[in-house]
Amino acid sequence: MVHALNEIHRTLKPNGILIDLRPVEENWSVEVVSTSSTQRVSSAGWQVSGRLIDQPIGVADDEAAFKAMREVESNGWFIREKEEEFAFFYYWDTPSEMKEFMEEEWEDFEKLDDDVFRRTNSLWASANADARVRVRVKMLITKWQKNGR
Amino acid sequence: MTTLQKDPEGFEKKTIHKFVDFTNARVLEIGCGEGRLTWKYAAASSLTVGFDPDHSALRIARADMPHDLHKEVHFADASANHIPFSKETFDIAILAWSL
Repeated sequence: MVHALNEIHRTLKPNGILIDLRPVEENWSVEVVSTSSTQRVSSAGWQVSGRLIDQPIGVADDEAAFKAMREVESNGWFIREKEEEFAFFYYWDTPSEMKEFMEEEWEDFEKLDDDVFRRTNSLWASANADARVRVRVKMLITKWQKNGR
Repeated sequence: MTTLQKDPEGFEKKTIHKFVDFTNARVLEIGCGEGRLTWKYAAASSLTVGFDPDHSALRIARADMPHDLHKEVHFADASANHIPFSKETFDIAILAWSL
């Protein structure tokens, strides 16, 4: 990882910019969302039905990424200019589609607990017909400026 | 058929443009995948090179490439461990969900 950052440093022009954009594991919330409110989906248009469970591989990946960036910062390759968190949503029409996606794509990173799936299904089923489900992924974006040549 | 939608609110696009100006920049994107993020800034750049080790994702990225970006955007099966460009080539590098 640090070797890759060294390569990026080499190919950037003086004062070039590195943008590190990535999801950060933090028991992302599962939500039922509807454009019209009901007794069970708030007037805000969404309701949290539970949280995903971070998996060890994903947590270790995050730790390795943070460690690599700390290393390149401490050895002076890049200077941290700006950092921000924002939400990135994944939407599905049904809880079953969400579950299927997670089992296929996120197996190593996040787990959907059976209880959370049941709660999501129940909330979704009793909401209005336009209800969908979503996962709120925590994103971190950091702007780094190349230091030195 | 899955109904998956990613970031329909466009928060990612808004945030990345708030962080960096792509106008006439030479951009390297590491982990471009199917080009989902690439299409959100490439039109402003003078050159965009997307790397990804996933052949099938790159096939989709090439197939989805808007016609007017054929000259500015290039995709390659590569990783950041060996970037086949000489030093000081790019203004901006993006680690896209790949660190």
